[in-house]
Amino acid sequence: MRILALESSCDETALTILNAQADSLVLEKDQVYSQVDIHQQFGGVVPEVAARQHAETIIPLLSANIKSEEKVDYLAVTTGPGLITSLLLGVTAAKTLAYAKNTPLVTVNHMEGHIYSNWLSNDELVKNANKYFPSLVLIVSGGHTELVLMKGHGDYQLLGSTVDDAVGEAFDKVAKLLDLGYPGGPIVSQRANDGDCSIYDLPRPMINSGDYNFSFSGLKTAVLYTLERKKKINTEDVDNVCASFQNAVVDILVNKTMKAAQEFGVKSIMLAGGVAANNQLKESLQQEARIKDLPFFFPELKYSGDNAAMISVAAYYNILNKKNIISGKDLLSVAPQSNWQLFKK
Amino acid sequence: MQEFVTNNIKETNKVANDLATSLESGQLIALSGNLGAGKTVFVKALAVGLGISETITSPTFVLMKSYPVNYKQIKQLIHVDCYRLDASEDLADIGLQDFLDDPQTLVVIEWADKLDNLPKNNLINVKMEFLGQDKRKIVISSKLVG
Ligand SMILES: Nc1ncnc2c1ncn2[C@@H]1O[C@H](COP(=O)(O)OP(=O)(O)OP(=O)(O)O)[C@@H](O)[C@H]1O
Ligand SMILES: [Mg+2]
Repeated sequence: MRILALESSCDETALTILNAQADSLVLEKDQVYSQVDIHQQFGGVVPEVAARQHAETIIPLLSANIKSEEKVDYLAVTTGPGLITSLLLGVTAAKTLAYAKNTPLVTVNHMEGHIYSNWLSNDELVKNANKYFPSLVLIVSGGHTELVLMKGHGDYQLLGSTVDDAVGEAFDKVAKLLDLGYPGGPIVSQRANDGDCSIYDLPRPMINSGDYNFSFSGLKTAVLYTLERKKKINTEDVDNVCASFQNAVVDILVNKTMKAAQEFGVKSIMLAGGVAANNQLKESLQQEARIKDLPFFFPELKYSGDNAAMISVAAYYNILNKKNIISGKDLLSVAPQSNWQLFKK
Repeated sequence: MQEFVTNNIKETNKVANDLATSLESGQLIALSGNLGAGKTVFVKALAVGLGISETITSPTFVLMKSYPVNYKQIKQLIHVDCYRLDASEDLADIGLQDFLDDPQTLVVIEWADKLDNLPKNNLINVKMEFLGQDKRKIVISSKLVG
């Protein structure tokens, strides 16, 4: 079956056409438009966050990329969680198209999309997913830090989440404190490569909290305090702070993930979300999983950040489970759910 | 104008809690102060004061989060964070106007100093400043009814 998916929950607008078969997922089209591209293509400067004003640009984007005769079996769109003004443009375009083309629409949760980025990058999951359930999924991004027990397709239990800052947010803010620029994650891990993580003794907040929640705001403040104490810092200090910070983050994430893997007797571990790009995190989880003899899956770099490909795959498994499929007059009431929490305790 | 110096989170929580008890619907709380100053900590305590049981988390990446409230006439808390806005934006651009106009909604904004056109009335400014380690200065000033 062919699925056309749209994603616009944050700063990018993305479009994918997936051709899904029982044991293969092929992306016929996969495009991400950052707002910069849109601005260039349509020659107007629009305020960064005013996605509402981009509602008009998604239609030309769609028509430029899909010939009207192209037949898709399903449309899919991210309806949440995310910024309402951004979600609105994707949702409006998708439901209008679905209604006009008389094609059913699948409403997809953005976080579920992140989980399914693993299916895009690991054929083994497409062919034999049931071998790997229950799976423990660590979702780490700019806005989310969640440990989820995935018992089967579409069957989730939330084990824990951050009580303050998300991991990606902590990376960005530490980069800001160190004046390293944006986006902070890649820069901090780059600098960490050259640093010594034993120089600064940073805390591991909540590491022994006895639950699966996380806290990263204290780590941010610990970096702030370290910098205040030093007053002047040189390149080497920056490298060392980055290394110490990243080490603390990875320590906390890996520690809780492995504890949960043990407690729930999972058959695999998965990583998802933008921070899945972090090499130290991947290597560390890989290593711990190997010790426990557990398969470890992670998404390729191009699918760890926000993209529409992961949304199309999540839509595919929703379709197989006959979930969240909307058609006919019901399409008119499809709306963004900016606070959609799919994972429940 | 009220000025406090807090020596730990507990003392900050107390200041926020006290503010919560005096809140009315239709007000807007504008928080400012650098990274780690304690704005989110302050909102967390404010939420506890309003009887919100959900955990308040940082809205930095999603820009805003909403929580149901049942406190006097206040039915909803909108927790906004302008940290990621790089130019001065319009409140309407980020979809806030409807909430500001709703008397049952309390809007609390972190990094409010990044916004240009905060309403002049019913505005409570909370300025937080890092004074070293766990010490913070909190200045609360309000322009009520105007
Ligand atoms: N007296 C205090 N009052 C408030 N927070 C304190 C105090 N002492 C220490 N802290 C710590 O300072 C940190 C404040 O972090 P918080 O995330 O609330 O800051 P913020 O102002 O929201 O930062 P951001 O700009 O990243 O949103 C917390 O880790 C908290 O534990
Ligand atoms: Mg904050």
